[in-house]
Amino acid sequence: MYLKAFWRRIPRSYFIVFGSLPILLLGSQGIQANSRNDIFYPSPSGLAVAVSGTITDENGEPLPGATITVLGSLQGTVSDLDGKFALSVPDGASLVISYIGYKSQTISVGTQAVINVQLQQDESSLNEVLVVGYGTQEKKDVTGAVSSIKGASIQNLPVSGASQALQGRAAGVNVVRNGGAPGNQGSIRIRGTGTLNNADPLIVIDGVPAGSLNDINPNDIASIEVLKDASASAIYGTRAANGVVIVTTKRGDFDQPLQFSVNGYTGVSNSIKTIDVLDAPTLAQLKRERFTNDGLAVNPIWANPAYQTQRTDWQNELLGQGTTQNVDISLTGGNKSSSFMLSGGYFEEKGMIRNSGFKRLSFRINSDHKINDRFKIGQNLQLISINETAPNTLSAQTGVLWSAIRFHPGLPVQNPNGSYSSSQISGEFGDINNPIFTQATQDNKNTTHKVLGNFNAEYEIIEGLKVRANFGLEGYVSDGYNFNIKVNDQIRASPRNSLSRNYGEGYSVLSEYFISYDKTFLDRHTLNFVGGYTTQTFKFEGFNATKLDFIDESFDQRFLDVGQTLNSIGGGKGYDALASYFGRVAYNYDERYLLTATIRSDGSSKFASGNQWGYFPAFSVGWRISEEDFFSNVGFISNLKLTGGWGSLGNQNVPGLQYLALISSGRRYSFGGNQTVGAAQTRVPNLGITWESAQMTNIGLDVGLFDNQLLANFNYFIKDTRDMLIAPPTIGSVGTAQIPNQNLGELRNQGLEIELLYRKTVGQFFYSVSGNASFIKNEVTKLVDGNFIGSQLYGRSSQEISRTYEGYPIASFYGWRTDGLYQTNEEIQNDINVAADPRRTNGLIKPGDVKFLDLNRDQVVDEKDREVIGNPHPSVVYGLNAEFGYKNFDFSLFFLGNAGFDIYNADRMQGIDPTYPFNMYAETADRWTGPNTSNEIPRMTTKRDNLNHRTSDLFLERGDFLRLKNLVVGYTLPLPLTQRFGVSKARFYVTGQNLLLLTNYSGMDPELGYINNNLQLNVDYAQYPQARTWTIGTTITF
Amino acid sequence: MKNTIIYLFSLLILVSMGSCTDEILETTPYGQSTSSQFWRNAEDAVAAANAMYEPLTNEDFYGHAEHTFDIPSDDQFRAGDHGEDQAIESFTFDAGNPQLFYSWRHKYEVISRANAVLINVPGIAMDQAIKDRTLGEAHFLRGFAYWRFAVIYGGVPLILEADVLTNNYNKPRASTDEIFAQIESDLLQAAQLLPVSHGGADLGRSHRGSANGLLAKMYLYKENFAKVIEFGNKVLSGPYPLAANYSANFRVETQNNPEVLFAIQSLEGWQDNTHIIYTTPRPWGGWDFHEPVDDLIEEFEEGDPRLDFTVYKPGDIVDLGGSRGPTEYTSDLSSTGYHFRKYSSWRAQGGLNMSHNNPIIRTADVYLLVAEAKIRAGQNGDMEINAVRARSGRMALTNATMQDLIHERRVELAGENQRHQDLMRWDKAGIVDIVELYKKDLGPLKPPRTFQRPKHYLFAIPQREIDLSNGVLTQNAGY
Repeated sequence: MYLKAFWRRIPRSYFIVFGSLPILLLGSQGIQANSRNDIFYPSPSGLAVAVSGTITDENGEPLPGATITVLGSLQGTVSDLDGKFALSVPDGASLVISYIGYKSQTISVGTQAVINVQLQQDESSLNEVLVVGYGTQEKKDVTGAVSSIKGASIQNLPVSGASQALQGRAAGVNVVRNGGAPGNQGSIRIRGTGTLNNADPLIVIDGVPAGSLNDINPNDIASIEVLKDASASAIYGTRAANGVVIVTTKRGDFDQPLQFSVNGYTGVSNSIKTIDVLDAPTLAQLKRERFTNDGLAVNPIWANPAYQTQRTDWQNELLGQGTTQNVDISLTGGNKSSSFMLSGGYFEEKGMIRNSGFKRLSFRINSDHKINDRFKIGQNLQLISINETAPNTLSAQTGVLWSAIRFHPGLPVQNPNGSYSSSQISGEFGDINNPIFTQATQDNKNTTHKVLGNFNAEYEIIEGLKVRANFGLEGYVSDGYNFNIKVNDQIRASPRNSLSRNYGEGYSVLSEYFISYDKTFLDRHTLNFVGGYTTQTFKFEGFNATKLDFIDESFDQRFLDVGQTLNSIGGGKGYDALASYFGRVAYNYDERYLLTATIRSDGSSKFASGNQWGYFPAFSVGWRISEEDFFSNVGFISNLKLTGGWGSLGNQNVPGLQYLALISSGRRYSFGGNQTVGAAQTRVPNLGITWESAQMTNIGLDVGLFDNQLLANFNYFIKDTRDMLIAPPTIGSVGTAQIPNQNLGELRNQGLEIELLYRKTVGQFFYSVSGNASFIKNEVTKLVDGNFIGSQLYGRSSQEISRTYEGYPIASFYGWRTDGLYQTNEEIQNDINVAADPRRTNGLIKPGDVKFLDLNRDQVVDEKDREVIGNPHPSVVYGLNAEFGYKNFDFSLFFLGNAGFDIYNADRMQGIDPTYPFNMYAETADRWTGPNTSNEIPRMTTKRDNLNHRTSDLFLERGDFLRLKNLVVGYTLPLPLTQRFGVSKARFYVTGQNLLLLTNYSGMDPELGYINNNLQLNVDYAQYPQARTWTIGTTITF
Repeated sequence: MKNTIIYLFSLLILVSMGSCTDEILETTPYGQSTSSQFWRNAEDAVAAANAMYEPLTNEDFYGHAEHTFDIPSDDQFRAGDHGEDQAIESFTFDAGNPQLFYSWRHKYEVISRANAVLINVPGIAMDQAIKDRTLGEAHFLRGFAYWRFAVIYGGVPLILEADVLTNNYNKPRASTDEIFAQIESDLLQAAQLLPVSHGGADLGRSHRGSANGLLAKMYLYKENFAKVIEFGNKVLSGPYPLAANYSANFRVETQNNPEVLFAIQSLEGWQDNTHIIYTTPRPWGGWDFHEPVDDLIEEFEEGDPRLDFTVYKPGDIVDLGGSRGPTEYTSDLSSTGYHFRKYSSWRAQGGLNMSHNNPIIRTADVYLLVAEAKIRAGQNGDMEINAVRARSGRMALTNATMQDLIHERRVELAGENQRHQDLMRWDKAGIVDIVELYKKDLGPLKPPRTFQRPKHYLFAIPQREIDLSNGVLTQNAGY
C-alpha cells in the first residue's frame, strides 16, 4: 500500500496556497487509514518486533513531534524532544514517518531494530503537476500563466460555493461579489473584464466544460487551476477568451485502504453595518422644512403627531441572524485494479434577511479502473440539488433593503390589529411596501436538479502513445415557483393573487476523441503531443404557466390546479453547438528550453454558415535559467524561469440566431374584451455576426530563493479584445426591438501580477506568509462612432450613472462636477458657472443648492457639462494569507483588499434627497440651513429646480477596502488519544468570515459587484450586504 | 481480447466523428419565425397588425407617462411621487428630465411595427378586405404616433418604410411641417382603407371614424378650418353617435360604444392599463397622481352631471366592492380634495377593475373641433356645441363664442390629456394668453408658473436621445 497523493484527502495536511504556487507546507503525509479489518480488530501485539530510532532534519538536528505510524494500522507514536521514538510493530510492517513541512518517508522494518530517519524539507511546488486541459504538465515545464489552488485551502469555509472561496486566492483572478445573498456566487473576472458582453470564464469540471462553480460541493474539490494567458488556455480556444477555470475533484487511489471521513460545521451570521437613518421626529421636522423653505403650505401629515413617534428601525427588523450548516461524508479506497471516491453533502444557508436561503444536496462518485496494463477507464458522476430563495435587493424602487432604509420610521411593523403598516396613508410616505410584509409573505423558490458526469477511456497503443475518448453529460431540470398573494393594503397592491411556475430542462452532451504522445529521446529531448476532435451540443426546453385568482391562499392550495383564471402559458426550445479540432505540442530541451504551441479551430452554431469557424493559435517559450551551468554557482537562487507567449482566443458567449430577423408571437392586446395575440419582430438581424477574439501577450518570471523558502512569480500581460460583440448604442428611432450584438469594439486589459510566498519551519513551529496582487488597467480602445454605451438607469428618476466610452474603462461613472454648496445669494449672482444660466436669472438657484461646474465654459450648467467622473475598477486587487502551526494547533488568516477605485453611492444620493417621499439618511440632519452651515448636504426643498441630487462627484467615494475574509483556528486531537476510539484523525475548528473591514466607504458594504452585465460596476443600490459569520466544526476520519 | 477492444474503440471514434460537423452546427429558431418565413397569409398579417397596438399600453406610454404631458395644464396638480414631474408641471425641466424620454421609444416601436406591416403585407395574397383593414390600421397608428411626437416635440426623425429597408435610423429631425404632412398622408390613407366600423370581436381596432376624427383635430392645429369641418362632418354624419349618457364612455361595460372613436384597450390579467392605478387614491389601492384642482371643479356649471363622472369629490359614495363595499370619498384622500374618476371602475369582489380603457378620441371631441373651426372661421358652431351640451342636459347656446367653446372643451374632456395642448393652440392663435393663465395662483399646490413663449410650446428633445444620436438630433430652441 502506498500513499501517493494521499495528502489530498487527509485533513491533517495543511497547505498554503499562494496563487500559482501551491505549497504543501505541513506534513504532507497524514496518518494512513486502516484496512477494513484493522478498524475493528487492531493488530495483536503478540507478534511484535521492537523498533526504535531517531528522526532528524536534513541538517541532522533532531525533530521532536514527528509522527511514526505502522502502515495500514492505527499503531503509532510521536518522537520525543530528542527526536527519539520506540515502538512495537508486527512482523513485516512498514513505518511511515511524517512531519509537517517535510516529505514523508515509508520504510520497511524488515529485521532492523534501529531505524534512523533523516527527513527532507518538502519542495514539492516545482514538481507539482498542474491540470492544463487535455492533460497535465509539471509546474516546472509550464510556459503559460497558470494559477493553482488546492482544495484543502478552501475546505470548510462557510461559503455556498467555490467561487466565493476563490476570492483573493490567485493573482489576476478577481471574484467580484455581487452582494451577499445566500447562494450568490459573484462574477469571476480573469485578467480584467475582457468584454462588454458575457465575461465569465469557461468552467471545466473533470474534463467537462460545464455550468458554474456553484454546481459543486466545495469540499469535493481537489484542485482548481486557472488558465490565465493565451498559451495556457488556447487549447479551449472557443471559450477561452475570458480565461478557463479547471476544477478537478477528489479521486481514490489504487491499493488504498478504505478511508471514511465525516465533516460538519455550523454557524451563525449577522449583519455588519446598517445605514443610520432619521428618526420619526427629525424626519417630520425636515419634511416640514422642505415646504417652508419653498414657501408652500406644510402637508398636514407632517404636523400629525401620530407619525412623529419613533417606532421602528426597519433595517434591524429586516436583518436578523442567519445560519449556516454543512455536513458531508466521504469514502475513498481502491484495490489494485479499481479505485473510487464517494461523497455526499448537505449545505444550508439561511440569510440574514428573513425568507432568503440556499440549500444544496450533493452526491458524487468518481472511479478509475484498469482493465489491463494498457486500457483504463474512469468515470465521474455528480448529482446535485439546489434550492434557492433570493430576495430582491437590486431595485431602487422595490428592493427590500432599499425599502427598509426608506420606510417611515414612525410606523410600527404591524398595527395593533395585526395588519402590516402601510404607506397608503399618504403620498408623502412613498410608493414603498412595508419591507417586513414583503419578506414575510414572499413565497418564491428556484429548485434545480443537476447531473454532471463523464465516462472516459484510454488505451495505450505503444509506450507513450495513447488514444483517449471522453463522453460527458451535463443536464438540469429547473423549477421556478412564485406565488404572489393578494395585496390590498400596501401601496404596490395586487388585487389578484397569482402563481407562476417555470419549468426548464437542458442537456449538454460532450464527446471528445484525442491522442497523446509522450516521448523522451536522445536523453535531452522531451516531446509531448495532444490532438483531437470534440463536439458539444446544448439543448434546452421549457414551459411556464401563470394562473390568477386563488380563492384560498393556504400553502397547501398554492398549485396551478387551484387558480381560477389562466393568465399565461408558454414554452420554447433552443439549441446550440460547438465543434472543434485542437492540437498542442510541448517540447523541452534538457529541462532548460521549453516550447509550447497550440492551435484550435472552432465552429459555433451561433453564427450563420460562412461565419461559423474561427482559428485560435498560441505559442509560448520558457527558459529555466537556473538549470544552466553558468548559474550553478548562484547558491541562493534555487529556481529561475523566464517565460513568454502570445496567443489568440475566442468568445462566442452571446445569444444565438442573431443573424436572423426573428418574429416573436405573444404580443398581447385585446379587442372587444377578448384576448388577442400579435407577432412582431423582436430583434434586428446582424447577418455578419462572428467570433470575438482576444490577443494576449504574456511575460512571466518564476523565482525561488533560499531553497525555495521564498517563492516569487511575476506576470505581465497585455490582452486586446478585438471584434468585440456589443449591442451598439442605438437611437430610439429604432423602437424597442432588441439590437443584435455586432463585432464592433476593442478593449485592452493590461497588468502585472505578483505572487510571493515565504515559508519556514522552526522546530515544531511553522509559518508561512503569502501575498498576491494584480494591477490591471482596463480601457475601451474602440467603440462605435466614438459614441458611448449606456447602462441601467437608477431609480424612479432614471438617473444615468455609468457609461462606457472609448478611451476610458468599461462602466465609468459619468456626471457633473461640483464645488460645494452656494452659501449666499451673492455668491450665486457672481458665479461665472451660471452667469448666463436662465435658472439663475429665474431665481431657481438658491443658497444651500449645489454649485455645479460649467465644464464647457458657456456659463450655463446643463447636460453638456458632464464628463467621466470616476473609475469603478480597482487598480489593485490583493490577497494576504498567513498560516501558523504549532504542535496540534493550526491557525490561518486571510485578508482581501481592493484599492484605487471609486464607488458611486447611489443609495446615499437618493438617501439625502429631500424631493423623494422617503425617509432619509441621518446625516441629512446636518443639512444646509444658512450660510456656512454645510458645504455638503444641500438644503431641504420639495423642488428639483437645481437638481442638487443629479449624478455628480458629490456622491462618489473611494471604495478602497481591506477585509479579514477568513480566520481559522484548528486543533487536532493527539493521535494516541484518538487511536483508542478507532479514529485516525479528529480536528476541531472555528472559522470566522468578514470579521474586520477597513474602509472609508460610508455605505453598508464596499463589495457591490456588477449590474447590467458588465456595464455597471460598484454602484450602491443597497445590495444584500455580506454577513459576519462564525462557524464551529469538526472533521473525523476513520 | 486486446484486439477486440482496439477495434471497438476505433469503431466508436469513427462512428462518432463521422457524424457530420456541419449538421451539428445547424440550428433552428424553435417556436419563432424569421421575417423571411413570416408574412405568409392573412393570419400573419393580422397578428402583425395586432402587435402594433401593444406598445400603446406600456406604463411608459399611455399606461401613464403620456398623461404627464398634460400636468402643466390648469386642470390638475401632478400629485404622485415622481420627483421629475414637478419640473414638468412648473416649466423648470431641462432636457435630462426622464419624463421626456419615457414614451419616446414606445412611439417609435408603434411606428416600427406599422412600417413592417406596410412593407410586408401588400405582397401577401389574402382577403382584400382584411388586407385593406390591416394596412389602414398601420397607417392610422403610424400617423397617430407621429401626431403625438409632433404636438409634444415638434419635428422628429421621420422613419418610414424606405428607412427600415436601408437600416437608416439615425436621421436628423424632419421639420414639424414634414411630420404634419406625413400624419395627413397616413391618416388619409387610413380613412380610405379602414372599414367604417367594427363588429364585436374587432371592437377597439381603429376604423374610418378614428382616422377622420384625428384628421379633423390635426387640421385644427394647422388652422385649416375648412378641412376640420369637412373631416369632422364625416364623423358626425357617420355611425358614431354620442352615447346617451356621458358616463357610458367611462364604464367598462359600455366603453366601446360608437362614440369612442379610438381607445387604448385594456383587459384585466392580460394587458392592463396601469393609468387606472395611477389616478386612484392610495388607500383605495392606487398611486394618487393627477389630482383635479378647484379651478377645474369651479368651471363646471351648477348641476352639470359630467362633474360626477369626471371626479371623485368629498361626500361621493363609491362602491369599492369586496369587503370594502360602498365607501365615502373624503377630502383627506387627496391633497387637492379630488381625484379623476374617468379611469377607474371597481370589481364586485373588490379592487380596481383593470379592464378600463384609455379613451383617445371621442365623437364629442370632434363636435367641439368642428364647432371651434366654425367659430374661428366666422361661422356658427351652435349646432355642434349644443349637441354636446344637450347630452348632459345643458342649456342650448346661441351664437356660441370661443369662450363658450373653451369652457365646453374643458369640462367635456377634463382629464383626457387635451387641456394643455388646447391652451397652447389657442395661445398661438391669440385667443387666450397662456402666460397669464399659468401665472394665476391656483393655491399652494399649483402656484404661478412661468410659461416662456415660444420655448414652452414644445417640450425638450430627450437629452439621452441627443447623446445617442451622436449629435445628429438637435435640441428645440431655448433648451
